[in-house]
Amino acid sequence: MTGPSLSRRRLLSSVGLLGAGAAVPSLLTACGGGGGGSAGNGTGTVKLWIDITGDANQQYFTDKVQGGFEKAYPKITMKTTYYKGQDLRRLVQTALQSRSGPDIVRGPAATQTMAWSKAHVLADLTPYAKKWGWNGKLAEWAINAFTVDGKLYALPMRVDTMLLYYNKTLFEQKGWSKPQNRSELEEFAKEAAGHGIVPFGSSNTDWAAASEWLMTVFWNNVSGPEAVYQALTGKAKFSDPVFVDAVTLLKSYFDKGWIGGSVAKYFSVPAAEVGANFGKGKVATVPQGEWYMSNVGQFFGSKAGNDNDWDWMPVPPLSSSVQPNTFPIGIGGSFAINQASKNQDAAANFLDWYYGDKSAALGRMADVPATYNIPITFSDSDIPSRIDPRAKRVLTSLNTAIDTGNYGYVTWTWWPPKSDTFVFQGLEKVLTNKMTPAAYCKQLATLFDQERQQGTIPKLMPRGAAK
Amino acid sequence: MTAAPAPGGTALAAPPRSGARRLRLRRGLIGWAFLAPLLVLNVIVVLGPSLATVWYSFTDWSGIGPAKFVGGANYVRAVTDPAVREALLHNAIWFVLFLFVPMALGLLGAHLINQVTRFRMLYRTLFFIPYVTASVINAAIWKMLLSPDSGIGHTLGIDQAWLGDPKTSLYAVNFVVDWHWWGFLAVIFFAAMQGVDVQLYEAARLDGAGRWRQFLSVTLPGIRPTMIFVVLMTIIWSLKAFDYIFIMTHGGPANSSDVVSTLMYDQAFNQYSAGYAAALGLSMTVIVGLVLAVYQFLRRKGWEE
Repeated sequence: MTGPSLSRRRLLSSVGLLGAGAAVPSLLTACGGGGGGSAGNGTGTVKLWIDITGDANQQYFTDKVQGGFEKAYPKITMKTTYYKGQDLRRLVQTALQSRSGPDIVRGPAATQTMAWSKAHVLADLTPYAKKWGWNGKLAEWAINAFTVDGKLYALPMRVDTMLLYYNKTLFEQKGWSKPQNRSELEEFAKEAAGHGIVPFGSSNTDWAAASEWLMTVFWNNVSGPEAVYQALTGKAKFSDPVFVDAVTLLKSYFDKGWIGGSVAKYFSVPAAEVGANFGKGKVATVPQGEWYMSNVGQFFGSKAGNDNDWDWMPVPPLSSSVQPNTFPIGIGGSFAINQASKNQDAAANFLDWYYGDKSAALGRMADVPATYNIPITFSDSDIPSRIDPRAKRVLTSLNTAIDTGNYGYVTWTWWPPKSDTFVFQGLEKVLTNKMTPAAYCKQLATLFDQERQQGTIPKLMPRGAAK
Repeated sequence: MTAAPAPGGTALAAPPRSGARRLRLRRGLIGWAFLAPLLVLNVIVVLGPSLATVWYSFTDWSGIGPAKFVGGANYVRAVTDPAVREALLHNAIWFVLFLFVPMALGLLGAHLINQVTRFRMLYRTLFFIPYVTASVINAAIWKMLLSPDSGIGHTLGIDQAWLGDPKTSLYAVNFVVDWHWWGFLAVIFFAAMQGVDVQLYEAARLDGAGRWRQFLSVTLPGIRPTMIFVVLMTIIWSLKAFDYIFIMTHGGPANSSDVVSTLMYDQAFNQYSAGYAAALGLSMTVIVGLVLAVYQFLRRKGWEE
């Protein structure tokens, strides 16, 4: 008999796991023959579940990533299943718990992936990293975030930061210059609002966690990266006035109607509508992650029914303790290997192919803005000339920020899971006056301390120039 | 129990009885053999998860990895959790609205269709469409229609953010759910009204009853069993409200539209407290059980007749 058999113990454990609604795939996998190879075979079928949305984006992944890998490794077949964003983490977690699921695990943030690692559902990648020299190919700060007790449990999927997108045509028409500090930003916001234009377009209607993007901006640009670092390392508290002040300032912008138009609109206008208004010039700027670069173009130009164009700028410093051109940095997701995979070697081959070929990786970065920005080391001259200049500026700006130590910390990478969730859920209570900024920060500090003691914080990017 | 054999007649009487018993046994076994696959499936898909949920409700399980037994701590937490109290209050509001608004609209709709003689099928189809359309589509469309920047209100000059205002979010979602449900009830009630004896209406008319009196004294008593069934269905549906709220508001803003089921989801998948979520789920099961028990009690007391 070939293929794995279903032992009595396996059957019983699977039935026990049904509480998570998860054992059926496990049983089916056990009955069906798993991945078709062994962990050390390096051939067969490799399954990946991923949350790339949009037909064009999925086609690019199928052709250039899956297709490219299969061409390089003819004995491996890759089977990609596309899911919509928020569902994927739940599906993958449920599958991992039942010892089934994809071979390559598209994980969430570093801290959440760490929780999966502690549950022993992810394979130890250290031997593969040594074999193929991944530590030398990927940025040290990024790979450190996924290393616990010397063991690498995932690879960083995308470098994340926050940008301030602006309607370039509108700025030119109104004679607005890019704000360089808080007073200029507030002057701009006042003037835009006076014209009936929403200064900062934002909405959490489609993605509840969007509120943490705003907190990332305000904590890094008001409190400052140094203060954030102190709090993340336990030398300061998130309840300190410097953090409360940032939340208070954010709330004051909301109360003035500068963000999203109003608090209620922030909670109810769909993101696509914010984008459409941005393209039309009814919204002047949009504070968003670099990933927005792959979508923002659809709201501008003849296809969107306007003659406008967009660009981005760094969020200006909002206090004297913040340097200009400060970029909060983090990781958007990860790639790991399922501990229960029967085809770990083949999955590792994919990771090596994906991260190891610098030229191909830079080509993907050039083809699809922001989606494939993996944290490999490269110089500005390595970037292909076909890249959109605005996307290139993101890459070069991040390289500069990392080289000069002028970076901050995004909440979804460096905050532990429960604290991270509280960042955006608690902010809703602040904005609707159910909680004061001070109470919000105090509760965050308590939660953060509890999680820090449990050791759920990844190794932080140190202050100063990083590698 | 076996009877004592009669003297001299034991050998003749026993074989037929034993044969009948064997036949019954064989028939029983065949029945169970047919039922077995379904039972096995039921044990795996229903009983297994149910038992596992009971177990996890007594643990501090994060949703992944091992679970640590914590006794009744999750239930104690549920009783003292202000978020659960708020969600239960929302469930109660939801229950009242969902019970009365679609029922009233459904009865009115059915009564009106019953009055017309043409295009009945068209009305029935139109009423039924929201019910058969997937909730995710209904919810997505209504999310756009309720947008303060481009929705129906905006077109009429009202920029109220129905889903974004904590004071209206629960009612806005409930409005959409009522809209999706009432047409179904109208069709069910209409079908029931077709079964009411027309002679009763004629008799009522001869007695001088107007349309309203006919509705109260003939139609409503005539469709009473259907109404009781619909009440039960509505009670169960309202207590398991989840999809529309999850899609349209995620229970927000600031928990203003959270019901226990959305709170449970949040605990399991955002707060990494799957054990606590299991305890909340079981608590809701107990509440549903109590409601159904009261329903059965009232039925036995003759409420249905």
